Amino acid sequence: MKLIEKTSRTYLILSAIIFMLSGVMLYFVLTTVMNNRLDKKLLYNKEVIAKHFKYEYPLTIFEAGELTESENKMYPKDTIVYKDTLISHAIDDIEGAEEYEKYRQLTAYETLQGKRYKIITRNSLVRNQDFVLIITLSTIVIILLLLTGLWILNTQIAKNIWKPFYKNLDRLKNFSIQDQNPIQLEPSNVDEFKELNSSLKNLTNKLQSDFNSLKEFSENASHEMQTPLAIMQSKIELLLQSTTVTKEQSEQLQSIYQAGQRLSKLNKTLLLLAKVENRQFSVQEEISLKELIERQLENYEDFIINKKLKVTTHLSDTRITTNAILADTLISNLLSNAIKHNIEKGTIDIMYDGEKLLFSNTGSILEQDPENLFNRFKKASTLKDSLGLGLAIVKKIADVNNWSIAYSYESKVHKISVLFKT
Amino acid sequence: MKILIVEDEIELLETIVSYLKNEDFICEKATTFFEAEDKLISFKYDIILLDITLPDGNGIDLLKLIKEESPTTGVLIVSAKDSLDDKLTGLDLGADDYITKPFHLAELNSRINSLIRRRKFEGDETIQFNEIKINPTSKTVTVNDKPIELTKKEYNLLLYFVTNKNKVLTKESIAEHLWGDNIEMADSFDFIYTHMGNLRKKMKKLGAPNYLQTMYGLGYKFAEK
Repeated sequence: MKLIEKTSRTYLILSAIIFMLSGVMLYFVLTTVMNNRLDKKLLYNKEVIAKHFKYEYPLTIFEAGELTESENKMYPKDTIVYKDTLISHAIDDIEGAEEYEKYRQLTAYETLQGKRYKIITRNSLVRNQDFVLIITLSTIVIILLLLTGLWILNTQIAKNIWKPFYKNLDRLKNFSIQDQNPIQLEPSNVDEFKELNSSLKNLTNKLQSDFNSLKEFSENASHEMQTPLAIMQSKIELLLQSTTVTKEQSEQLQSIYQAGQRLSKLNKTLLLLAKVENRQFSVQEEISLKELIERQLENYEDFIINKKLKVTTHLSDTRITTNAILADTLISNLLSNAIKHNIEKGTIDIMYDGEKLLFSNTGSILEQDPENLFNRFKKASTLKDSLGLGLAIVKKIADVNNWSIAYSYESKVHKISVLFKT
Repeated sequence: MKILIVEDEIELLETIVSYLKNEDFICEKATTFFEAEDKLISFKYDIILLDITLPDGNGIDLLKLIKEESPTTGVLIVSAKDSLDDKLTGLDLGADDYITKPFHLAELNSRINSLIRRRKFEGDETIQFNEIKINPTSKTVTVNDKPIELTKKEYNLLLYFVTNKNKVLTKESIAEHLWGDNIEMADSFDFIYTHMGNLRKKMKKLGAPNYLQTMYGLGYKFAEK
C-alpha cells in the first residue's frame, strides 16, 4: 500500500467515525431543540384553548368528557405533562391501511372556571427514521465528497510531489554497484526528499568507490602474485631437470608443482574475472559464433571423444558484436562445462539462432540450488580439478554485455542459454 | 644465437638463463631499463626477451628502441599483465610474441625457438633429431626419410619435445601447450598418455628408437638413452 493511500485511508476511516459520531450527536441535539420548540408551541396552544374555556365557555367544538377518577387522583393540582406518542391514522390513498405517526403531546390538567379539565394538544413529529435517514445520507454524501476530493488531491500530489520520488526509486532499482557513473537523482523541493536524495547519493557513491577499490585491489593482488608464482614454477621445473633427484624427492616436487599450478590457474581465472568486471575488454568486433564454436569443438575434441559424447549443432551464421576474447572465453567455458558435467555416452546440443545460444547437455541432477550455479566457487560436482569459476565467468561476461543468461533442467538435460538481444 | 633477457626479477632471470644455457644460446642479462638500453645500443641480439614492467621504465619504450636499432631482432614480450591493451600495443609495435607469467620454461623455450625459425630462416628450416626431420612450414615429419602421418596434436607434441630435447617436460606444461592455458579438464593427462602412445607406435614402425621416456609419472623426457 502506498504511503499516500495509507494516510488517506486512515484519514478517511477517522473522518467516517467522526461523521458517524457527529451524526448521532446531531440527531440528539436536533430532537432536543425541536422538542423544545414544539413544547413551547404546544404550551401556547394550550393557553389559547384554556383562554377559550375561560371566556367563551362552553366550547362547542370540543367533546368534553368527564375526567376519570384515577386522573383526578393522580393530578389533583394543575399539571402539564409532555410526552411522545404514536397515533394511528388512515393513509389517504390506501383503503384500510393505517400508519402510526409520532406526535408530541401535551396533556394539561387544569381547573378552569371551577371545573377540572384535561387539555391535550399535540403536534406531529418528524419521524425518527427520517431523521436517521437524512443524517446518514448527508454523512455519506459528505464522505463521498471527501473521498473524491482526496483522490483528486492525491493524484495531484502524486504527480507533483511523489513523481520525482518514484523516478528515483526506479533508478535505485536499476542501480548497479558496478556502474562507473554516479547515480543521477531527480531533484525535489520537498525537504524530506532532498535529504533522502543526498543520503542516497552519498551512499551509492561510497558503495561504488569501495567496490572499485576492492576490484582494483583484487586485480593488483592477482598481478603481484604472478611473478612469485612464475619463480616458483620455473624453479621447480629447473630442479626437475637435475639428474640427482630421487624418485621420492621427485614425487614431493610434483606435489608442490601441482599445488603451484593450481594456485596459478586460480589466480589467472580470478584475474580474468576481475578484468571482465573492470570492463578491460572493451574492443568490440564482429564475431562469428559459428566459427568460434566449431573451433572450440575441435580444441575440445579429445575430451568429447574420451567421454564418447554425441555433439549436435544447429548454428546460424549471424554475427554478433562483442569482444573477441570474451566471446572465446564464453564459448570455451560453456563447452567445457557441458563436457565436464556430462555422463559417459551423453549428448551435447549447441543451438544458435542469431539471438539465443543454447547449450544442452545430459547429466545428473544438480545437488545444489540452481540459484547458486553462477556464483563463484559453487561447484556443482565434486570434480577435484574444477575450480568452480567457469560459470561465474560466463555470467560475468553476459553481465558486462547486457546479455541474459538462464539455466533449466528438464528430463535429465541441463540447459544453459544466453540471450544476446535484451 | 644471442639472446638478451630483460627481467627485473633476478630469481626468474637466473632460472630462465640456466634453462636456456644448455641450448645453443648465449644469454645476456639486463635487470633494469637503463641496463637494457645500454646493452641494446652496444650489441646486436637475435632474440630479446622483454619484461614490460621494469622498475625504471616501461618495456614498451624499449621495444620502440629495439625496432629502431635493429629491426630484424625477434622480440618476445613477457608480462605479468596479460591485459589486452598491453598485448595489442606490444604486437602493434613489432613484438613477435607474447607470453604471460607464470609460464613453463619449456613453453618459453619452444616460443623462442619458433621465433628464431621465423626470424632467421623464414620458417624454412628443418629441425633434425637423429633420424627425425621436422619441417615447420609444411608441418611434415619424416623418420629415416620416410614420411610419417601425424595428427595435429601428435605433430605439436613431437615438435614440443624435439625443441625441448633432453629436458623433463611436466604433464601440465604439455597439456597447456596442446590445449591452451584455459583448459581445465581433469582428463587431459590421460589424453597426453594416449597421444604419446600413438606417437611412440608410429615412430617405432618407421624404425626410430623410443626416445620418449616417462619420468616417475611426473612428465616425459625426449632424449637418447
